[in-house]
Amino acid sequence: MLSVNNLSVNFGEQEVLSNFNLDLKQGEIFALLGKSGSGKSTALRFIAGLEQANNGSVEIDGVQLSVDGEHSVQPELREIGMVFQDYALFPHMNIEKNISFGINHLSKSAQRKQVLELLAMIGLEGSEDKYPHQLSGGEQQRVSLARALAPEPKILLMDEPFSSLDKSHKDHLVLQVRQILKKTNTTSILVTHDKDEANSLADKVGIIQNKQLTIN
Amino acid sequence: MEKNCFKSKIWISVVALLVAMPIFVVAFSWALPEHELWAHFSENILSDLISSTLILLLGVGVGVTLLGTVLAYLVVMVEFPGRKWLEWALFLPFAIPAYVLAFVYLGVFDYSGYAQVWMRETLGIPGFDIRAGSWAIILTFVLVFYPYVYMMTRASFKRQKINMIEAGRLLGVSPIRVFFKVSLPLARPAAAAGLLVTLMETLADFGVVSLFNYDTFTTAIYSAWGDFRSIEVAAQLASLLVLMAFFLIYFEKKARGQAKYYSANVANKKPYHATGVKGWLISLFVFGVFMLSFAMPMLQLVVWGYSSVADEWSAKYIDLIASTSILTITAALITVALATILALPRRCKQTSIWLKSVIRLATLGYALPGSVMAVGLLYGINQISIINIHFGGESINHIIYGSIALLLFAYVSRFMAIAYSSIEASAQQIKPVFTQSARLLGASRMRLIWQVYLPMMTPGILAGGLLVAVDVMKELPATYLLRPFGWDTLAIQTYELSAEGLFERAAIPALIMVVFGALLMSVFQVLDKKSSRST
Repeated sequence: MLSVNNLSVNFGEQEVLSNFNLDLKQGEIFALLGKSGSGKSTALRFIAGLEQANNGSVEIDGVQLSVDGEHSVQPELREIGMVFQDYALFPHMNIEKNISFGINHLSKSAQRKQVLELLAMIGLEGSEDKYPHQLSGGEQQRVSLARALAPEPKILLMDEPFSSLDKSHKDHLVLQVRQILKKTNTTSILVTHDKDEANSLADKVGIIQNKQLTIN
Repeated sequence: MEKNCFKSKIWISVVALLVAMPIFVVAFSWALPEHELWAHFSENILSDLISSTLILLLGVGVGVTLLGTVLAYLVVMVEFPGRKWLEWALFLPFAIPAYVLAFVYLGVFDYSGYAQVWMRETLGIPGFDIRAGSWAIILTFVLVFYPYVYMMTRASFKRQKINMIEAGRLLGVSPIRVFFKVSLPLARPAAAAGLLVTLMETLADFGVVSLFNYDTFTTAIYSAWGDFRSIEVAAQLASLLVLMAFFLIYFEKKARGQAKYYSANVANKKPYHATGVKGWLISLFVFGVFMLSFAMPMLQLVVWGYSSVADEWSAKYIDLIASTSILTITAALITVALATILALPRRCKQTSIWLKSVIRLATLGYALPGSVMAVGLLYGINQISIINIHFGGESINHIIYGSIALLLFAYVSRFMAIAYSSIEASAQQIKPVFTQSARLLGASRMRLIWQVYLPMMTPGILAGGLLVAVDVMKELPATYLLRPFGWDTLAIQTYELSAEGLFERAAIPALIMVVFGALLMSVFQVLDKKSSRST
């Protein structure tokens, strides 16, 4: 359902990633490993339409989103969800408002219903009136996941989502996230530098080395 | 993406160039220079003007930097008796317009003021002219403007991590050395920013220098226009002032260097405790500054006001208060709205040199005295009328002169920088990820602005509005020249009475202004506390 072709990324003059190709099936979870500066985040942000690249195209369900490194469809219209490293929850909105931000086209009651379902799924029932700063890092991360999943995106992108959590929380959360993604059958890409994290979350792991992507 | 940038550029450029218009008009004056009168000015007066202005700037600069920084350091880093309320009380002088403090000092310390009379008669100290030399006026400016440096450095000291200072102490370094080696270098950008505002305010001042009969660029501009009726020379002088402002901004940038503000972890713990005699001495010093800059002048105003209230108070004050309020509120609303348009986060702003420059231009009005703003606007309107008549149209002068539009324009141009810097600071806290995640969730630009940007910028918008309101309320020179008939303000009333030496009667409008100013400032304080708690 997703195919990325011939993506290449430069940092300044230097090429860090070339001829990156990736095909994912519906519901597949893919983890992208690489050192910092390997261009893995840029690749992810290119798929989201947030950054441009030297070259490359993105296609979802047969629709061309980006061609030759330029975006033909803007991020707002891509139906792609993203979870950021520092969560990016809106600090002035409560949890309910945060989660329903992307589904404001639905009726109030439908929004409410979906928020409650998602909260139950991430194990944060009863937190809808709290504000982000009242939650722990792991809880914020789960809310951020719920917010990204609420509009039922075609693809979920996760950019180092666990890197600001401590180890004991992380292991548990990684498994929980995998369950949620499997349950919702969401095609996902995780970017990380942690091998264990990649292996326990993903169906398929790719690694960027010497500008090239190898998938095992 | 390109299209978006184009829209941003149009929006920002229109707003910024409109706000900066008086500066262009002033610069334009060199296209039609007035040679004869300018020659007279530059031969006879200019060098004296430059030297007296520089002496004033130097004295005030050194004074406010020392006083503001030391006070801020003491209230943030040292626990001493009375610290808590003094920390807040030191902001209060913001509420007193500079010219009010000046007339109180003059009334008390002038040759015929009771302080000098008492010194002559009781202590036998010979009388002196407080207006001679520049020490008295420098001292006055320092006492009015130190809160700028105090405010900025205080915020910066608060952001310094307490363990850095503790580390210094554990290494056996004395408090004085920690101050000079750790705290002060870190606070340098903040001190430079406060200093910049102070120097610009000093350059722009009209009330204090004219009450003290001290010649600066501002008084020369007045003289060029008022005495010689030459808008051209006034504008030419004003353009030199703009040049000075550019230099100041440049030096502030240099002083700031690569230093960046340090991030949060605001602790209420004080690393130093001053007890016993030391503590009381510090208290006495800080309290003394508070007394001189606020409490004593206020007390004097109240005494004068009490003795003259029966003669001075009348129904006309209702009108004065009404017109002051209308002007203040309208100007604050317009300024804040335009500043918000300029400050909204836009991707293009990081990359576009054009946008950076026009915004810089729009915020330069802070260095222009209100009188120049006024002259620039009048001159500009006049030119438009002339062109209009040339093409067979009508003069637009009558539409403009009879309304408050021009005056509001002057306020907005003059105080844009204050609103902008406050709002921009809150916009800076909106990290790009917020924008990106909102976009990925399908939010339109409109929704992004209304539901994400504006709510997150609200503290800055409110604070900016309050600060502008305080400044508009006490604004003197532009109001003096541009107010339509029937639009006298409290500031005008205060200045006119005190310029005639009627200090006791001038105390009435001054007091009303101070009370309103203090109210606005305390709202600002509450907001400031709230926002520092939530981040």
